[in-house]
Amino acid sequence: MSALLELQGVGISFGGLRAVDDLSFSVTEGQIVGLIGPNGAGKTTVFNMITGVYRPKTGRVLWQGREITGAKPARIARLGLRRTFQTIRLFAEMSVFENVRAGCHLAARQHWWEGLLGLPGQRREEAELAARTHEILRRLDLDGVADAPATSLPYGVQRRVELARTLAGQPKLIILDEPAAGLNDAESAALNETIFMIRETGVTILLVEHDMNVVMRVSDHVVVINFGRKIAEGDAAAVRADPAVIEAYLGREDAEEVAA
Amino acid sequence: MRGAPLGGATGAVAGPVIWAAGLALPFALDSSWVSIAAFFAIYAITALSEDVILGRAGMFDMGHAVYFGIGAYVTAILNTTLNVPILLTLPLAMLLAAAAGALLSAPLIRLRGDYLLVATIGFNAIFVLAMQNDPGGITGGSDGITGIGVPSLFGLQLESQSAMFWLDWVVLGAVLLVMRNLDRCEFGRALRYLKQDELAAGTLGVDARAVKTLAFALGAALAGLAGTLFAVQLSTVSPSSFVFTESVTLFAIVIVGGQGSIPGVLLGTALMFVVPQIFRGLAEYRYFVFGIAMVAVMVLRPQGLLPRRRAVT
Repeated sequence: MSALLELQGVGISFGGLRAVDDLSFSVTEGQIVGLIGPNGAGKTTVFNMITGVYRPKTGRVLWQGREITGAKPARIARLGLRRTFQTIRLFAEMSVFENVRAGCHLAARQHWWEGLLGLPGQRREEAELAARTHEILRRLDLDGVADAPATSLPYGVQRRVELARTLAGQPKLIILDEPAAGLNDAESAALNETIFMIRETGVTILLVEHDMNVVMRVSDHVVVINFGRKIAEGDAAAVRADPAVIEAYLGREDAEEVAA
Repeated sequence: MRGAPLGGATGAVAGPVIWAAGLALPFALDSSWVSIAAFFAIYAITALSEDVILGRAGMFDMGHAVYFGIGAYVTAILNTTLNVPILLTLPLAMLLAAAAGALLSAPLIRLRGDYLLVATIGFNAIFVLAMQNDPGGITGGSDGITGIGVPSLFGLQLESQSAMFWLDWVVLGAVLLVMRNLDRCEFGRALRYLKQDELAAGTLGVDARAVKTLAFALGAALAGLAGTLFAVQLSTVSPSSFVFTESVTLFAIVIVGGQGSIPGVLLGTALMFVVPQIFRGLAEYRYFVFGIAMVAVMVLRPQGLLPRRRAVT
Protein backbone atom coordinates (compact mmCIF):
# COMPACT_ATOMS: atom_id res chain seq x y z
CA MET A 1 0.00 0.00 0.00
CA SER A 2 2.33 2.72 -1.18
CA ALA A 3 1.07 6.11 -2.26
CA LEU A 4 1.81 6.64 -5.93
CA LEU A 5 0.57 10.21 -5.87
CA GLU A 6 0.08 12.39 -2.83
CA LEU A 7 -1.26 15.93 -2.43
CA GLN A 8 -0.33 17.75 0.78
CA GLY A 9 -2.25 20.93 1.57
CA VAL A 10 -2.39 22.01 -2.06
CA GLY A 11 -4.03 25.35 -2.82
CA ILE A 12 -4.31 27.94 -5.59
CA SER A 13 -6.26 31.14 -6.13
CA PHE A 14 -7.23 33.08 -9.23
CA GLY A 15 -7.73 36.81 -8.84
CA GLY A 16 -8.48 36.58 -5.14
CA LEU A 17 -10.81 33.61 -5.55
CA ARG A 18 -9.60 30.59 -3.61
CA ALA A 19 -10.20 27.90 -6.26
CA VAL A 20 -8.63 25.06 -4.27
CA ASP A 21 -7.75 25.29 -0.59
CA ASP A 22 -5.57 23.07 1.61
CA LEU A 23 -6.43 19.89 -0.27
CA SER A 24 -4.78 16.63 0.80
CA PHE A 25 -5.38 13.11 -0.43
CA SER A 26 -3.38 10.26 -1.84
CA VAL A 27 -3.75 7.73 -4.62
CA THR A 28 -2.61 4.20 -3.81
CA GLU A 29 -1.02 2.06 -6.48
CA GLY A 30 -3.50 -0.23 -8.27
CA GLN A 31 -6.58 1.65 -7.08
CA ILE A 32 -9.27 3.58 -8.88
CA VAL A 33 -9.73 6.82 -6.97
CA GLY A 34 -12.68 9.07 -7.72
CA LEU A 35 -12.55 12.81 -7.17
CA ILE A 36 -16.06 14.21 -7.18
CA GLY A 37 -17.77 17.47 -6.56
CA PRO A 38 -20.41 19.66 -8.16
CA ASN A 39 -19.60 21.78 -11.21
CA GLY A 40 -17.16 24.51 -10.28
CA ALA A 41 -15.92 22.69 -7.19
CA GLY A 42 -12.34 22.87 -8.43
CA LYS A 43 -11.88 19.34 -9.75
CA THR A 44 -10.26 20.24 -13.04
CA THR A 45 -8.09 22.81 -11.25
CA VAL A 46 -6.78 20.00 -9.03
CA PHE A 47 -5.92 18.01 -12.14
CA ASN A 48 -4.20 20.95 -13.74
CA MET A 49 -2.05 21.39 -10.63
CA ILE A 50 -1.05 17.73 -10.63
CA THR A 51 -0.20 17.69 -14.34
CA GLY A 52 1.83 20.89 -14.36
CA VAL A 53 -0.62 23.13 -16.22
CA TYR A 54 -0.92 25.31 -13.07
CA ARG A 55 1.60 25.68 -10.29
CA PRO A 56 0.05 25.41 -6.78
CA LYS A 57 0.53 28.48 -4.59
CA THR A 58 0.65 26.41 -1.42
CA GLY A 59 1.32 22.79 -0.55
CA ARG A 60 3.19 19.98 -2.27
CA VAL A 61 2.54 17.32 -4.86
CA LEU A 62 4.50 14.08 -4.34
CA TRP A 63 5.09 11.32 -6.88
CA GLN A 64 6.30 8.07 -5.29
CA GLY A 65 7.46 10.19 -2.34
CA ARG A 66 9.42 12.69 -4.47
CA GLU A 67 8.27 16.27 -4.82
CA ILE A 68 7.02 17.27 -8.29
CA THR A 69 5.17 20.47 -7.36
CA GLY A 70 4.93 22.74 -10.39
CA ALA A 71 6.88 20.42 -12.72
CA LYS A 72 6.25 21.06 -16.43
CA PRO A 73 3.73 18.85 -18.29
CA ALA A 74 6.44 17.15 -20.34
CA ARG A 75 8.31 16.10 -17.17
CA ILE A 76 5.10 14.87 -15.58
CA ALA A 77 4.51 12.73 -18.65
CA ARG A 78 8.01 11.31 -18.38
CA LEU A 79 7.26 10.12 -14.83
CA GLY A 80 4.46 7.92 -16.17
CA LEU A 81 1.54 10.18 -15.38
CA ARG A 82 -0.89 10.74 -18.25
CA ARG A 83 -4.20 12.54 -18.52
CA THR A 84 -7.25 13.03 -20.67
CA PHE A 85 -9.17 16.26 -21.03
CA GLN A 86 -12.72 17.13 -20.13
CA THR A 87 -13.19 18.52 -23.62
CA ILE A 88 -11.55 15.83 -25.72
CA ARG A 89 -8.28 17.09 -27.19
CA LEU A 90 -7.44 14.81 -30.08
CA PHE A 91 -5.22 15.99 -32.91
CA ALA A 92 -7.97 17.01 -35.31
CA GLU A 93 -6.06 16.69 -38.58
CA MET A 94 -4.78 13.21 -37.78
CA SER A 95 -6.18 9.70 -38.03
CA VAL A 96 -7.02 7.53 -35.03
CA PHE A 97 -3.79 5.62 -35.61
CA GLU A 98 -1.69 8.80 -35.65
CA ASN A 99 -3.35 10.05 -32.48
CA VAL A 100 -2.64 6.84 -30.58
CA ARG A 101 0.87 6.69 -32.05
CA ALA A 102 1.42 10.17 -30.56
CA GLY A 103 1.11 8.57 -27.12
CA CYS A 104 4.33 6.64 -27.86
CA HIS A 105 6.33 9.87 -28.21
CA LEU A 106 8.50 9.30 -25.15
CA ALA A 107 9.17 5.67 -26.09
CA ALA A 108 10.98 6.82 -29.24
CA ARG A 109 14.75 6.71 -28.64
CA GLN A 110 15.76 8.01 -32.09
CA HIS A 111 17.66 11.27 -32.43
CA TRP A 112 16.27 13.92 -34.74
CA TRP A 113 19.18 13.56 -37.18
CA GLU A 114 18.67 9.80 -37.40
CA GLY A 115 15.10 10.57 -38.37
CA LEU A 116 16.09 13.12 -41.03
CA LEU A 117 18.57 10.66 -42.53
CA GLY A 118 16.12 7.75 -42.26
CA LEU A 119 18.75 5.41 -40.79
CA PRO A 120 17.90 1.69 -40.46
CA GLY A 121 17.73 1.79 -36.65
CA GLN A 122 15.21 4.61 -36.79
CA ARG A 123 13.09 2.80 -39.38
CA ARG A 124 13.12 -0.30 -37.17
CA GLU A 125 11.95 1.73 -34.19
CA GLU A 126 9.16 3.26 -36.27
CA ALA A 127 7.98 -0.24 -37.18
CA GLU A 128 8.08 -1.34 -33.53
CA LEU A 129 6.10 1.67 -32.32
CA ALA A 130 3.57 1.21 -35.13
CA ALA A 131 3.12 -2.39 -33.96
CA ARG A 132 2.67 -1.22 -30.37
CA THR A 133 0.05 1.27 -31.55
CA HIS A 134 -1.85 -1.41 -33.46
CA GLU A 135 -1.77 -3.63 -30.38
CA ILE A 136 -3.41 -0.91 -28.27
CA LEU A 137 -5.95 -0.17 -31.00
CA ARG A 138 -6.91 -3.86 -30.96
CA ARG A 139 -7.18 -3.92 -27.17
CA LEU A 140 -9.55 -0.97 -27.14
CA ASP A 141 -11.46 -2.28 -30.14
CA LEU A 142 -10.42 0.64 -32.34
CA ASP A 143 -8.61 -1.27 -35.09
CA GLY A 144 -11.62 -0.92 -37.39
CA VAL A 145 -11.35 2.86 -37.40
CA ALA A 146 -7.54 3.17 -37.37
CA ASP A 147 -7.43 5.24 -40.57
CA ALA A 148 -10.50 7.37 -39.87
CA PRO A 149 -10.00 11.07 -39.14
CA ALA A 150 -10.11 11.12 -35.33
CA THR A 151 -12.61 13.92 -34.88
CA SER A 152 -15.09 12.48 -37.40
CA LEU A 153 -16.05 9.73 -34.95
CA PRO A 154 -18.87 9.62 -32.38
CA TYR A 155 -18.07 11.18 -29.03
CA GLY A 156 -17.84 7.86 -27.19
CA VAL A 157 -15.31 6.53 -29.70
CA GLN A 158 -13.27 9.72 -29.46
CA ARG A 159 -13.10 9.17 -25.70
CA ARG A 160 -11.75 5.70 -26.31
CA VAL A 161 -9.18 7.07 -28.74
CA GLU A 162 -8.02 9.54 -26.12
CA LEU A 163 -7.78 6.71 -23.58
CA ALA A 164 -5.81 4.64 -26.06
CA ARG A 165 -3.43 7.57 -26.56
CA THR A 166 -2.73 7.77 -22.82
CA LEU A 167 -2.24 3.99 -22.64
CA ALA A 168 0.26 4.10 -25.51
CA GLY A 169 2.59 5.96 -23.14
CA GLN A 170 2.61 2.92 -20.81
CA PRO A 171 1.64 5.08 -17.83
CA LYS A 172 1.68 4.17 -14.15
CA LEU A 173 -1.19 6.51 -13.38
CA ILE A 174 -3.78 8.01 -15.68
CA ILE A 175 -5.97 10.91 -14.76
CA LEU A 176 -9.36 10.96 -16.45
CA ASP A 177 -11.13 14.32 -16.48
CA GLU A 178 -14.89 13.70 -16.65
CA PRO A 179 -14.64 10.84 -19.16
CA ALA A 180 -18.41 10.27 -19.03
CA ALA A 181 -19.20 13.85 -20.02
CA GLY A 182 -21.33 13.90 -23.16
CA LEU A 183 -21.74 10.12 -23.30
CA ASN A 184 -25.09 8.34 -23.51
CA ASP A 185 -25.92 5.47 -21.13
CA ALA A 186 -24.64 2.72 -23.41
CA GLU A 187 -21.39 4.59 -24.05
CA SER A 188 -21.07 5.29 -20.35
CA ALA A 189 -21.44 1.59 -19.52
CA ALA A 190 -18.85 0.70 -22.15
CA LEU A 191 -16.55 3.30 -20.60
CA ASN A 192 -16.84 1.60 -17.20
CA GLU A 193 -15.80 -1.68 -18.80
CA THR A 194 -12.81 0.02 -20.40
CA ILE A 195 -11.78 1.61 -17.09
CA PHE A 196 -11.87 -1.76 -15.34
CA MET A 197 -9.93 -3.33 -18.18
CA ILE A 198 -7.25 -0.66 -17.87
CA ARG A 199 -6.96 -1.25 -14.13
CA GLU A 200 -6.54 -4.98 -14.82
CA THR A 201 -3.33 -4.16 -16.68
CA GLY A 202 -1.91 -2.62 -13.50
CA VAL A 203 -2.53 1.03 -14.25
CA THR A 204 -3.70 3.21 -11.35
CA ILE A 205 -6.56 5.57 -12.16
CA LEU A 206 -7.60 8.92 -10.77
CA LEU A 207 -11.01 9.85 -12.02
CA VAL A 208 -12.71 13.23 -11.87
CA GLU A 209 -16.41 13.08 -12.42
CA HIS A 210 -19.60 14.75 -11.50
CA ASP A 211 -21.64 11.82 -12.81
CA MET A 212 -22.09 10.00 -9.50
CA ASN A 213 -23.12 6.72 -11.14
CA VAL A 214 -19.81 6.27 -12.90
CA VAL A 215 -17.73 7.18 -9.85
CA MET A 216 -19.69 5.08 -7.37
CA ARG A 217 -19.60 2.06 -9.62
CA VAL A 218 -15.91 1.97 -10.39
CA SER A 219 -14.05 3.72 -7.55
CA ASP A 220 -12.23 1.96 -4.70
CA HIS A 221 -11.87 5.24 -2.90
CA VAL A 222 -13.75 8.52 -3.26
CA VAL A 223 -12.68 12.06 -2.37
CA VAL A 224 -15.41 14.71 -2.34
CA ILE A 225 -14.64 18.40 -2.72
CA ASN A 226 -16.83 21.48 -2.75
CA PHE A 227 -15.74 25.10 -3.18
CA GLY A 228 -12.16 23.85 -3.40
CA ARG A 229 -12.17 22.07 -0.04
CA LYS A 230 -12.36 18.42 0.83
CA ILE A 231 -15.65 17.65 2.58
CA ALA A 232 -15.53 13.85 2.71
CA GLU A 233 -13.35 10.87 1.86
CA GLY A 234 -13.81 7.10 2.02
CA ASP A 235 -15.20 4.16 0.07
CA ALA A 236 -18.25 4.68 -2.12
CA ALA A 237 -20.75 3.44 0.47
CA ALA A 238 -19.37 5.63 3.26
CA VAL A 239 -19.31 8.73 1.07
CA ARG A 240 -22.80 8.10 -0.17
CA ALA A 241 -24.07 7.97 3.42
CA ASP A 242 -22.14 11.02 4.55
CA PRO A 243 -24.60 13.78 5.52
CA ALA A 244 -22.14 16.50 4.55
CA VAL A 245 -21.97 15.08 1.04
CA ILE A 246 -25.70 14.68 0.72
CA GLU A 247 -26.40 18.18 1.91
CA ALA A 248 -23.54 20.21 0.54
CA TYR A 249 -22.95 18.42 -2.70
CA LEU A 250 -25.79 16.24 -3.87
CA GLY A 251 -28.81 18.37 -3.08
CA ARG A 252 -32.10 16.80 -2.12
CA GLU A 253 -33.24 15.34 -5.44
CA ASP A 254 -29.89 13.88 -6.32
CA ALA A 255 -29.62 12.43 -2.81
CA GLU A 256 -32.80 10.44 -3.31
CA GLU A 257 -31.62 9.30 -6.68
CA VAL A 258 -28.33 8.00 -5.28
CA ALA A 259 -29.96 6.41 -2.25
CA ALA A 260 -32.44 4.58 -4.46
CA MET B 1 -9.26 9.37 -47.99
CA ARG B 2 -9.96 6.49 -50.33
CA GLY B 3 -7.58 7.71 -53.00
CA ALA B 4 -4.83 8.39 -50.50
CA PRO B 5 -2.93 5.05 -50.53
CA LEU B 6 -2.83 5.08 -54.31
CA GLY B 7 -1.85 8.73 -54.27
CA GLY B 8 0.95 8.01 -51.79
CA ALA B 9 2.30 5.17 -53.92
CA THR B 10 2.08 7.28 -57.06
CA GLY B 11 3.92 10.08 -55.32
CA ALA B 12 6.66 7.74 -54.15
CA VAL B 13 7.31 6.67 -57.75
CA ALA B 14 6.44 9.90 -59.55
CA GLY B 15 8.60 12.15 -57.35
CA PRO B 16 11.97 10.53 -58.11
CA VAL B 17 11.04 10.07 -61.80
CA ILE B 18 10.19 13.76 -62.21
CA TRP B 19 13.36 14.73 -60.38
CA ALA B 20 15.48 12.45 -62.59
CA ALA B 21 13.81 13.83 -65.71
CA GLY B 22 14.67 17.30 -64.45
CA LEU B 23 18.36 16.43 -64.73
CA ALA B 24 17.93 16.45 -68.50
CA LEU B 25 16.61 20.02 -68.61
CA PRO B 26 19.92 21.58 -69.73
CA PHE B 27 19.80 19.41 -72.88
CA ALA B 28 16.31 20.61 -73.74
CA LEU B 29 16.39 24.29 -72.81
CA ASP B 30 18.53 27.28 -73.65
CA SER B 31 20.69 28.74 -70.95
CA SER B 32 18.29 31.47 -69.86
CA TRP B 33 15.68 28.80 -69.15
CA VAL B 34 18.24 26.65 -67.39
CA SER B 35 18.96 29.64 -65.19
CA ILE B 36 15.23 29.92 -64.40
CA ALA B 37 15.21 26.24 -63.51
CA ALA B 38 18.21 26.83 -61.25
CA PHE B 39 16.39 29.66 -59.48
CA PHE B 40 13.37 27.43 -59.12
CA ALA B 41 15.51 24.81 -57.35
CA ILE B 42 17.03 27.45 -55.05
CA TYR B 43 13.69 29.05 -54.14
CA ALA B 44 12.09 25.62 -53.74
CA ILE B 45 14.69 24.76 -51.09
CA THR B 46 14.02 28.08 -49.37
CA ALA B 47 10.26 27.59 -49.46
CA LEU B 48 10.60 24.02 -48.15
CA SER B 49 12.75 25.38 -45.32
CA GLU B 50 10.01 27.90 -44.48
CA ASP B 51 7.56 25.02 -44.52
CA VAL B 52 9.49 23.29 -41.71
CA ILE B 53 8.81 26.28 -39.45
CA LEU B 54 5.48 27.55 -40.77
CA GLY B 55 3.76 24.58 -42.39
CA ARG B 56 4.81 21.81 -40.06
CA ALA B 57 5.48 23.48 -36.72
CA GLY B 58 2.84 26.18 -37.27
CA MET B 59 5.11 29.05 -36.22
CA PHE B 60 4.42 32.29 -38.09
CA ASP B 61 7.89 33.11 -39.39
CA MET B 62 7.55 36.24 -41.53
CA GLY B 63 11.29 36.94 -41.60
CA HIS B 64 12.60 33.84 -43.30
CA ALA B 65 14.61 35.80 -45.89
CA VAL B 66 17.03 36.57 -43.02
CA TYR B 67 18.35 33.00 -42.92
CA PHE B 68 18.48 32.81 -46.72
CA GLY B 69 20.45 36.07 -46.61
CA ILE B 70 22.82 34.88 -43.89
CA GLY B 71 23.73 31.86 -46.02
CA ALA B 72 24.33 34.03 -49.08
CA TYR B 73 26.42 36.60 -47.20
CA VAL B 74 28.51 33.98 -45.38
CA THR B 75 29.46 32.41 -48.72
CA ALA B 76 30.02 35.78 -50.40
CA ILE B 77 32.21 37.18 -47.61
CA LEU B 78 34.30 34.06 -47.03
CA ASN B 79 34.82 33.48 -50.74
CA THR B 80 35.65 37.06 -51.77
CA THR B 81 37.77 38.11 -48.79
CA LEU B 82 39.43 34.88 -47.65
CA ASN B 83 39.20 32.89 -50.89
CA VAL B 84 37.49 30.01 -49.15
CA PRO B 85 36.26 27.53 -51.78
CA ILE B 86 32.48 27.79 -52.28
CA LEU B 87 31.65 24.25 -51.25
CA LEU B 88 33.61 24.71 -48.01
CA THR B 89 31.54 27.77 -47.17
CA LEU B 90 28.38 25.73 -47.50
CA PRO B 91 28.46 23.96 -44.11
CA LEU B 92 29.43 27.24 -42.45
CA ALA B 93 26.54 29.05 -44.11
CA MET B 94 24.17 26.38 -42.81
CA LEU B 95 25.65 26.42 -39.32
CA LEU B 96 25.57 30.19 -38.93
CA ALA B 97 22.02 30.42 -40.29
CA ALA B 98 20.96 27.63 -37.91
CA ALA B 99 22.60 29.38 -34.97
CA ALA B 100 20.86 32.63 -35.89
CA GLY B 101 17.53 30.82 -36.20
CA ALA B 102 17.92 29.14 -32.81
CA LEU B 103 19.15 32.28 -31.03
CA LEU B 104 16.59 34.66 -32.52
CA SER B 105 13.70 32.30 -31.89
CA ALA B 106 14.73 31.39 -28.33
CA PRO B 107 13.13 34.40 -26.63
CA LEU B 108 10.07 34.21 -28.93
CA ILE B 109 9.25 30.55 -28.78
CA ARG B 110 6.46 30.97 -26.23
CA LEU B 111 4.85 33.82 -28.16
CA ARG B 112 1.48 33.36 -29.78
CA GLY B 113 1.38 33.31 -33.59
CA ASP B 114 0.56 36.97 -34.17
CA TYR B 115 3.27 38.25 -31.81
CA LEU B 116 5.84 35.92 -33.32
CA LEU B 117 4.90 37.19 -36.77
CA VAL B 118 5.52 40.80 -35.83
CA ALA B 119 8.79 39.99 -34.07
CA THR B 120 10.14 38.11 -37.10
CA ILE B 121 9.21 41.05 -39.36
CA GLY B 122 11.39 43.11 -37.02
CA PHE B 123 14.31 40.72 -37.50
CA ASN B 124 13.99 41.08 -41.25
CA ALA B 125 14.02 44.89 -41.07
CA ILE B 126 17.07 44.88 -38.79
CA PHE B 127 18.92 42.40 -41.00
CA VAL B 128 18.41 44.44 -44.18
CA LEU B 129 19.38 47.65 -42.40
CA ALA B 130 22.51 46.03 -40.99
CA MET B 131 23.61 44.73 -44.39
CA GLN B 132 23.02 48.19 -45.95
CA ASN B 133 25.12 49.87 -43.29
CA ASP B 134 28.12 47.71 -44.10
CA PRO B 135 29.19 46.70 -40.55
CA GLY B 136 32.96 46.36 -40.32
CA GLY B 137 33.16 47.02 -44.06
CA ILE B 138 32.38 43.39 -44.88
CA THR B 139 28.90 43.44 -46.45
CA GLY B 140 29.47 46.10 -49.10
CA GLY B 141 26.50 48.26 -48.09
CA SER B 142 23.58 48.71 -50.49
CA ASP B 143 25.63 47.54 -53.48
CA GLY B 144 26.44 44.30 -51.74
CA ILE B 145 29.29 41.97 -52.70
CA THR B 146 30.27 41.10 -56.24
CA GLY B 147 32.73 38.71 -57.81
CA ILE B 148 31.75 35.55 -55.98
CA GLY B 149 33.59 32.58 -57.48
CA VAL B 150 32.24 29.35 -58.88
CA PRO B 151 32.23 26.06 -56.99
CA SER B 152 34.74 23.42 -57.95
CA LEU B 153 34.16 19.75 -57.48
CA PHE B 154 37.03 17.25 -57.78
CA GLY B 155 39.04 19.90 -59.58
CA LEU B 156 36.17 20.57 -61.98
CA GLN B 157 35.05 24.22 -62.22
CA LEU B 158 31.24 24.34 -62.22
CA GLU B 159 31.12 27.52 -64.31
CA SER B 160 28.51 26.79 -66.95
CA GLN B 161 24.88 27.49 -66.18
CA SER B 162 24.16 23.80 -66.75
CA ALA B 163 26.77 22.70 -64.21
CA MET B 164 25.38 25.11 -61.64
CA PHE B 165 21.87 23.91 -62.37
CA TRP B 166 22.93 20.32 -61.76
CA LEU B 167 24.47 21.31 -58.44
CA ASP B 168 21.24 23.08 -57.41
CA TRP B 169 19.11 20.20 -58.63
CA VAL B 170 21.12 17.59 -56.71
CA VAL B 171 20.94 19.68 -53.53
CA LEU B 172 17.18 20.08 -54.04
CA GLY B 173 16.92 16.30 -54.36
CA ALA B 174 18.76 15.85 -51.06
CA VAL B 175 16.53 18.41 -49.34
CA LEU B 176 13.44 16.65 -50.71
CA LEU B 177 14.70 13.40 -49.19
CA VAL B 178 15.19 15.10 -45.83
CA MET B 179 11.69 16.57 -46.01
CA ARG B 180 10.22 13.17 -46.83
CA ASN B 181 12.07 11.62 -43.88
CA LEU B 182 10.81 14.44 -41.67
CA ASP B 183 7.29 13.14 -42.32
CA ARG B 184 8.27 9.71 -41.09
CA CYS B 185 10.23 10.48 -37.96
CA GLU B 186 9.38 11.35 -34.39
CA PHE B 187 10.77 14.89 -34.64
CA GLY B 188 8.57 15.68 -37.63
CA ARG B 189 5.54 14.24 -35.89
CA ALA B 190 6.24 16.21 -32.72
CA LEU B 191 6.10 19.38 -34.84
CA ARG B 192 2.61 18.50 -36.00
CA TYR B 193 1.45 17.65 -32.48
CA LEU B 194 2.59 21.07 -31.32
CA LYS B 195 0.96 22.79 -34.26
CA GLN B 196 -2.40 21.17 -33.63
CA ASP B 197 -2.60 21.23 -29.83
CA GLU B 198 0.35 22.33 -27.75
CA LEU B 199 -1.32 21.52 -24.42
CA ALA B 200 -2.19 17.97 -25.45
CA ALA B 201 1.31 17.53 -26.91
CA GLY B 202 2.83 18.58 -23.58
CA THR B 203 0.89 15.93 -21.69
CA LEU B 204 2.30 13.34 -24.09
CA GLY B 205 5.81 14.42 -23.14
CA VAL B 206 6.64 16.67 -26.11
CA ASP B 207 9.21 19.25 -25.00
CA ALA B 208 7.79 22.28 -26.82
CA ARG B 209 10.80 24.55 -26.34
CA ALA B 210 13.37 22.03 -27.55
CA VAL B 211 11.32 20.85 -30.52
CA LYS B 212 10.39 24.36 -31.70
CA THR B 213 13.95 25.65 -31.36
CA LEU B 214 15.20 22.70 -33.36
CA ALA B 215 12.56 23.39 -36.03
CA PHE B 216 13.77 26.98 -36.33
CA ALA B 217 17.38 25.83 -36.51
CA LEU B 218 16.62 23.23 -39.17
CA GLY B 219 14.50 25.62 -41.25
CA ALA B 220 17.20 28.28 -41.01
CA ALA B 221 19.98 25.83 -41.91
CA LEU B 222 18.18 24.74 -45.08
CA ALA B 223 17.53 28.39 -45.97
CA GLY B 224 21.23 29.08 -45.41
CA LEU B 225 22.06 26.22 -47.77
CA ALA B 226 19.82 27.80 -50.41
CA GLY B 227 21.54 31.13 -49.71
CA THR B 228 24.91 29.69 -50.69
CA LEU B 229 23.48 28.37 -53.97
CA PHE B 230 21.86 31.76 -54.57
CA ALA B 231 25.15 33.63 -54.11
CA VAL B 232 26.82 31.25 -56.56
CA GLN B 233 24.07 31.52 -59.15
CA LEU B 234 24.05 35.33 -59.11
CA SER B 235 27.77 35.71 -58.32
CA THR B 236 26.67 38.75 -56.35
CA VAL B 237 24.62 39.39 -53.22
CA SER B 238 22.94 42.58 -52.10
CA PRO B 239 20.42 43.48 -49.37
CA SER B 240 17.56 43.90 -51.88
CA SER B 241 17.35 40.12 -52.35
CA PHE B 242 16.46 39.56 -48.70
CA VAL B 243 13.92 42.26 -47.99
CA PHE B 244 10.64 41.80 -46.17
CA THR B 245 8.62 41.18 -49.36
CA GLU B 246 10.80 38.12 -50.04
CA SER B 247 9.77 36.76 -46.64
CA VAL B 248 6.14 37.49 -47.43
CA THR B 249 6.49 35.61 -50.72
CA LEU B 250 7.97 32.56 -48.98
CA PHE B 251 5.20 32.71 -46.38
CA ALA B 252 2.55 32.92 -49.10
CA ILE B 253 4.06 30.05 -51.11
CA VAL B 254 3.64 27.71 -48.13
CA ILE B 255 0.10 28.86 -47.31
CA VAL B 256 -1.11 28.90 -50.92
CA GLY B 257 0.68 25.70 -51.94
CA GLY B 258 -0.33 23.65 -48.91
CA GLN B 259 1.17 23.60 -45.45
CA GLY B 260 3.29 20.55 -44.74
CA SER B 261 2.80 19.31 -48.31
CA ILE B 262 5.94 18.84 -50.43
CA PRO B 263 4.07 18.89 -53.79
CA GLY B 264 2.12 21.91 -52.58
CA VAL B 265 5.22 23.92 -51.70
CA LEU B 266 6.87 22.99 -55.01
CA LEU B 267 3.76 24.06 -56.93
CA GLY B 268 3.61 27.32 -54.98
CA THR B 269 7.26 28.01 -55.81
CA ALA B 270 6.67 27.32 -59.49
CA LEU B 271 3.65 29.65 -59.56
CA MET B 272 5.59 32.42 -57.90
CA PHE B 273 8.95 32.16 -59.63
CA VAL B 274 8.55 30.26 -62.90
CA VAL B 275 5.16 31.27 -64.26
CA PRO B 276 6.09 34.99 -64.21
CA GLN B 277 9.09 34.16 -66.42
CA ILE B 278 6.85 32.49 -68.97
CA PHE B 279 4.74 35.64 -69.19
CA ARG B 280 7.75 37.86 -69.07
CA GLY B 281 5.90 40.84 -70.53
CA LEU B 282 3.62 40.66 -67.57
CA ALA B 283 6.42 40.46 -65.00
CA GLU B 284 5.24 43.66 -63.38
CA TYR B 285 1.92 42.03 -62.74
CA ARG B 286 3.56 39.21 -60.81
CA TYR B 287 2.37 40.38 -57.42
CA PHE B 288 -0.95 41.41 -58.89
CA VAL B 289 -1.62 37.96 -60.29
CA PHE B 290 -0.22 36.14 -57.28
CA GLY B 291 -2.11 38.46 -54.97
CA ILE B 292 -5.40 37.58 -56.63
CA ALA B 293 -4.43 33.91 -56.56
CA MET B 294 -3.70 34.17 -52.83
CA VAL B 295 -7.07 35.71 -52.09
CA ALA B 296 -8.88 33.19 -54.28
CA VAL B 297 -7.11 30.21 -52.73
CA MET B 298 -7.69 31.40 -49.18
CA VAL B 299 -11.40 31.85 -49.85
CA LEU B 300 -12.03 28.78 -52.00
CA ARG B 301 -9.39 26.36 -50.79
CA PRO B 302 -8.00 27.43 -47.41
CA GLN B 303 -6.07 24.19 -46.98
CA GLY B 304 -3.92 25.11 -50.01
CA LEU B 305 -3.73 24.03 -53.65
CA LEU B 306 -2.22 20.60 -52.94
CA PRO B 307 -2.96 20.02 -49.26
CA ARG B 308 -1.13 17.52 -47.14
CA ARG B 309 -2.56 14.01 -47.35
CA ARG B 310 -3.52 12.17 -44.22
CA ALA B 311 -1.19 9.27 -43.52
CA VAL B 312 -2.72 5.85 -43.96
CA THR B 313 -1.40 2.75 -42.23
